[in-house]
Amino acid sequence: MHIPDGYLSPQTCAAAYAVAVPTLAVASRRVSAVLRTKQVPLLAMFAAVSFLVMMFNVPIPDGTTAHAVGAAIIAIVLGPWAAVIAVSVALLFQALLFGDGGVLAYGANVVNMAILMPFVGYAGYRLIAGRSALTATRRVVAAGLAGFVGINAAGLATAIELGIQPDLFHTAAGAPLYSPYHLSQSIPAMALAHVIVAGPVEAVLTAGVFGYLVRANPSALAATHPGLSGEPSSSSTPSRAPGLLSPARVAVGFVVLLAALSPLGLLAPGGAFGENAPDDLPLADLGLDAIPAGMERYAGFWSHTLLGDYGFADGQNATLAYWVCAVLGIAIVGIAVYAAGRLFVWTTRGRSGRTPVQVHS
Amino acid sequence: MTARVLKPAPAWLVSSEQPIGPGRVGRRKRAAFLEKTLGDGAEVVRRAMYAESADPRGDRPGVLFRIDPRIKLVALVVLLLGVALVHTPVTLAVVYLGLVLLAWAGGVSVGAFVTRVWLFVPLFTAVALAPATLSVITPGEVLVPLWTWHGAQEGITSQGLTSAGLVILRVACSVSLVLLVTISTSWNRLLAALGALGVPRIFVMVIAMAYRYLFVLLGSVLDMVLARKARTVQPVAHTAGDRRFVGAAVGTLLGRAGHLSEEVHQAMTARGYAGQHHTLTGFRASGLDLLALAASLMVAVVIVGGDHLLR
Repeated sequence: MHIPDGYLSPQTCAAAYAVAVPTLAVASRRVSAVLRTKQVPLLAMFAAVSFLVMMFNVPIPDGTTAHAVGAAIIAIVLGPWAAVIAVSVALLFQALLFGDGGVLAYGANVVNMAILMPFVGYAGYRLIAGRSALTATRRVVAAGLAGFVGINAAGLATAIELGIQPDLFHTAAGAPLYSPYHLSQSIPAMALAHVIVAGPVEAVLTAGVFGYLVRANPSALAATHPGLSGEPSSSSTPSRAPGLLSPARVAVGFVVLLAALSPLGLLAPGGAFGENAPDDLPLADLGLDAIPAGMERYAGFWSHTLLGDYGFADGQNATLAYWVCAVLGIAIVGIAVYAAGRLFVWTTRGRSGRTPVQVHS
Repeated sequence: MTARVLKPAPAWLVSSEQPIGPGRVGRRKRAAFLEKTLGDGAEVVRRAMYAESADPRGDRPGVLFRIDPRIKLVALVVLLLGVALVHTPVTLAVVYLGLVLLAWAGGVSVGAFVTRVWLFVPLFTAVALAPATLSVITPGEVLVPLWTWHGAQEGITSQGLTSAGLVILRVACSVSLVLLVTISTSWNRLLAALGALGVPRIFVMVIAMAYRYLFVLLGSVLDMVLARKARTVQPVAHTAGDRRFVGAAVGTLLGRAGHLSEEVHQAMTARGYAGQHHTLTGFRASGLDLLALAASLMVAVVIVGGDHLLR
């Protein structure tokens, strides 16, 4: 994921520096305010750790290994602002000492791996962990998902930075000057690598380290988990802690995420694959003489739709009908997610009611 | 004294020893995981030491080693920008030859310089860019027809080749520039130069300390790997244990880093640290440095200007 010099235009690099430098300034002010004279040794140690974590090879099932970035676990242990500085310093080592990642592209690498990844990872962790006890399995799962989401956010940002190059910067003859892959190629390529390999590796590392710290060294987590001990809270309702993650909030969050991601569809060229009605098939392009018999037979198999072709039955008010369809679709997805959430809460509450966890020191 | 006939040494002493332990009995796959982690760690140390050994403290003859690090950093950014703005592969090829000449004239070992550059990023870049030379990704004038698709020729395009050449040569030039600076400058002077150029002192200090303690923490990682290897009697078929080991090792590392930072902080406070940062290295630019700065600016202008003429 380290972008070397030569893949990004100087303009892109300047834009990335314009984001990275102020963020680093804010990070150093916030960390200094909290830690005063302690910040230099602490950040130095964790920068070294961040560098070393990137060297650790995590075994994956096919017998090979892949390495993680570790920004998410550092954010969970130290907080996202400290992680910004620690990972930035580790990236600087790599750029200057090992030629891993460029000097002009350093800003972009910082934005992807040292800013986006810890913040997205930490937000994911806080959201999923809610107010559960430190020893809850839910927190380990939250840490793993934080690593997964964090590295995928970084991968997506990298893919977008690389993917906008060929359209923006090319010679008069059309030869791309920098990275030649378009968004429609760079995003799937990065997504494939990060969803299948890098994401799970990061998840395993983050969850593994978090689980180990909870078991063996919970004091290391004190900075970002104030007031949380290894025991569940001793109040009268210990297991009823939906916290940030109530079914309603999850449903709303899911719908907002869907709505926010839908413009990605506009970036994709061409139409939707495999969704043509038989009459719309470009038969000549496909080398066919007629619509395939089976397709013709089954195309009209189900025709009892409420809003066929995203319109009213009489074909009037097309725009209004399209909006009705959109709102209805979103509402149905939201309700389905809400129902799944209620079901999940109901089943888990039933189980925790049978085996109450009571640990007293 | 009676002369004693020396008996030949017993066979078990002479024969080369069979190593005992998991190195021999373990399955390849498993040994490979630990060795890979270990090997990478050792590689980091080796390369870092290699960079340190290029320290100019002796009487290095090379001109590059004598130039003020601040000038080198400014020249690096200026030349990187110049390289980034080039639009024709020919210009970049000329720039690369110029860099090799500069390395030779500056007292850097040319063989090592060229292999270190080409073994690393450009080869990887070439593999990654190979599909982009095809007309499906970079449309244009087809030079090498490979197949037809609905009657149209598809294959390697001239635009695709130009683009691949541009990116590969640009990566090679950029990596070479960074390498020239890092080979010819010790890490400490490079850091001091970063500070002198306006990077906040706290960052410079964090970077310097992180670099020092990198080796301490790396040592502790290598110890953990070695200890695990020593305790490994029989290999496990699945990798879940290895994954748990990685989690525990990194977790331990985080804990140790926390302890170490506490101790180092106390030691710093005991020696009077109150948040102010001082540096020993003072820089004074000489005539040579100003010449180098002027030359790098001029070269950057010539690169971009010459490239405009070639377009």
